[in-house]
Amino acid sequence: MAARYDYAIVGNSAAAINACDAIRSVDREGSIVLFAEEKYRCYSRPLISYLVAGQIESKGMYYRPSGYYRSMRVEFRKGARVEAVDAGKKTLTTADNEKVKWRKLLLATGFKPFIPPVPGLEDVDYITFVNWDDAKRMLARTAKPARVLVVGAGLIGMKAAEAAEARGAEVTVVEKMERVLPQALDEQASRMVWERCREAGIDIVTGQGVAALESTGGGKGKATLEDGGEIDFDLLVMAVGVRPRAELAEGAGLDCPHGIEVDEHQRTSLEDVFAAGDAVSAMDIVLGKPAINALWPVAALQGKYAGLNMAGREVPYPGCNSMNAVEFFGLPVLSAGVVNPPEDGYEVIARRVDGGDYRKVVLQGDVIVGMLVAGRVERAGILTSLIQERANVRRVKNFLLEEAFGHIHLPRSVRQERIKETAAGIMKAGAARDEGV
Amino acid sequence: MIRIVPREEYCIGCRLCEIHCIVQHSRSKNIIKAFKSERRPVKRVEVEEEGHVSFALQCRHCEEAPCVTACLSGAMSKDPETGAVVNDPERCVGCWTCILVCPFGAVRRDEAERKAVGKCDLCPDLEVPACVANCPNEALLMVEE
Ligand SMILES: Cc1cc2nc3c(=O)[nH]c(=O)nc-3n(C[C@H](O)[C@H](O)[C@H](O)COP(=O)(O)OP(=O)(O)OC[C@H]3O[C@@H](n4cnc5c(N)ncnc54)[C@H](O)[C@@H]3O)c2cc1C
Ligand code: SF4
Ligand code: SF4
Repeated sequence: MAARYDYAIVGNSAAAINACDAIRSVDREGSIVLFAEEKYRCYSRPLISYLVAGQIESKGMYYRPSGYYRSMRVEFRKGARVEAVDAGKKTLTTADNEKVKWRKLLLATGFKPFIPPVPGLEDVDYITFVNWDDAKRMLARTAKPARVLVVGAGLIGMKAAEAAEARGAEVTVVEKMERVLPQALDEQASRMVWERCREAGIDIVTGQGVAALESTGGGKGKATLEDGGEIDFDLLVMAVGVRPRAELAEGAGLDCPHGIEVDEHQRTSLEDVFAAGDAVSAMDIVLGKPAINALWPVAALQGKYAGLNMAGREVPYPGCNSMNAVEFFGLPVLSAGVVNPPEDGYEVIARRVDGGDYRKVVLQGDVIVGMLVAGRVERAGILTSLIQERANVRRVKNFLLEEAFGHIHLPRSVRQERIKETAAGIMKAGAARDEGV
Repeated sequence: MIRIVPREEYCIGCRLCEIHCIVQHSRSKNIIKAFKSERRPVKRVEVEEEGHVSFALQCRHCEEAPCVTACLSGAMSKDPETGAVVNDPERCVGCWTCILVCPFGAVRRDEAERKAVGKCDLCPDLEVPACVANCPNEALLMVEE
């Protein structure tokens, strides 16, 4: 007889752990089993670059203290990959042939790196940069001075480049688009980050794809770019993008052309099967439609709401939006919502201050839909919250680009409402939207 | 739990709260040392001012704290007993994600020792938080709920 659990969770990262916490905040008794393919206690994936760079030690990687699973009374199956889910019989089977029954199931399977078909790639012993094992591989392979080639200048590629640079490697980044971090940043901020990277000695080649790869043995090789240029490397890091990891959901019978689809309670179309995190396409409150925002805070928030709903609280996911906090070589940049608006229908106001500060706000009519702040970032979250409230900012437009912009500029009633309401949860504070600020 | 409530009609914009916050979070807790010889901590309360209006604002210790859910490392947490939202500087990596989501701009970068953030901790060692205790005009009130 297969053991039966009230809750089964597949995954062990932002979405899964926040779901566990949420379930336990409602249901102290129900049995929980959690399956983790990786052989680690829950750790913070984004911290792998900090680990490689020597900014933190291994013990700083853990997202929850040791003893977490015991104290939460979660049966933790370390190194157990779930192979199949039978949503009709409400069972699942692991690669080691453990079979369990569940009443509620959460798929928090996250993302996987996208590997493009480049001729010759299969012969090269390349790495990706998405988990702790990858970090160990990079540490080992940069122990001696190495030439590292990173393909892709998105967040993961740039983090890999920064980490390799901190290891003393000679780093080149190749990016097909014309600039670095093309999604998270706008052109101006991309240039600022690029400048910092160049000063730090990272070579960045943009507008170029890798046309072919050639292995010269031992993980080393040569890349030929589209324009015929050649780059020799000792270590190749592939970081061109990520995709939702939806195989398990598909195997269970869900159609997932763009990630796992869920309703506002993080429920899939299969009875008692929930999903959360990077594998999921959920409501983006700025775009006004479902989207995949493969980001830690978004995965955590979805996990939390999935957990609450699994435990029987009917609370809708408030929705989230794209947002990024990055810092490269001393330049912090925060952004949220729409930062690269199409030409039509949007208004952009921006201000560049000598010394590196840059501030930009994107408006759609009188509604604030995007922001980017570089340099002195402290108060940028106020803009994020107005974006999430879809606030009408007509009356404060002149102040939005000021570093000191804050509650002092909002109408007294709105500011008092916000200060009071947050005590009960900011997501409910709609004053800025309803009254305008 | 305790909450600090700003009263803008009483605030005179003197910024004594900011100064006493810095002193309270300094190593010596001595105003002269804190400002002259020691590493100066970041302020955890900020006076916003425009024209004749001013008020002091610090972390609201939100019920559904966005910074706690968003924190990449697990350093930011809400104490289930006191309700205080606190940052563990040992675990904080200084990724600024909490700054990105705080609706009040209540989190600051604190890079003097290593990358981390500083925010209001409700002065756990004091009966009354330093900003409240040192406001000369009762523009900050401590309320117990
Ligand atoms: C280098 C790097 C830097 C990043 N930096 C940032 C950043 O600064 N800010 C930010 O917001 N985001 C960042 N991210 C993105 C962030 O890590 C993800 O958004 C987040 O990890 C998503 O969490 P998740 O719970 O959805 O899934 P994941 O973290 O992808 O975890 C899913 C887990 O499920 C496991 N799993 C999958 N399938 C199975 C199965 N069948 N059986 C058992 N286990 C399974 C996987 O092994 C994995 O451990 C970064 C990512 C990387 C790689
Ligand atoms: S730091 Fe900001 S988001 Fe976090 S609890 Fe305080 S006010 Fe709320
Ligand atoms: S800066 Fe520190 S407290 Fe803030 S989100 Fe990052 S790790 Fe967490």
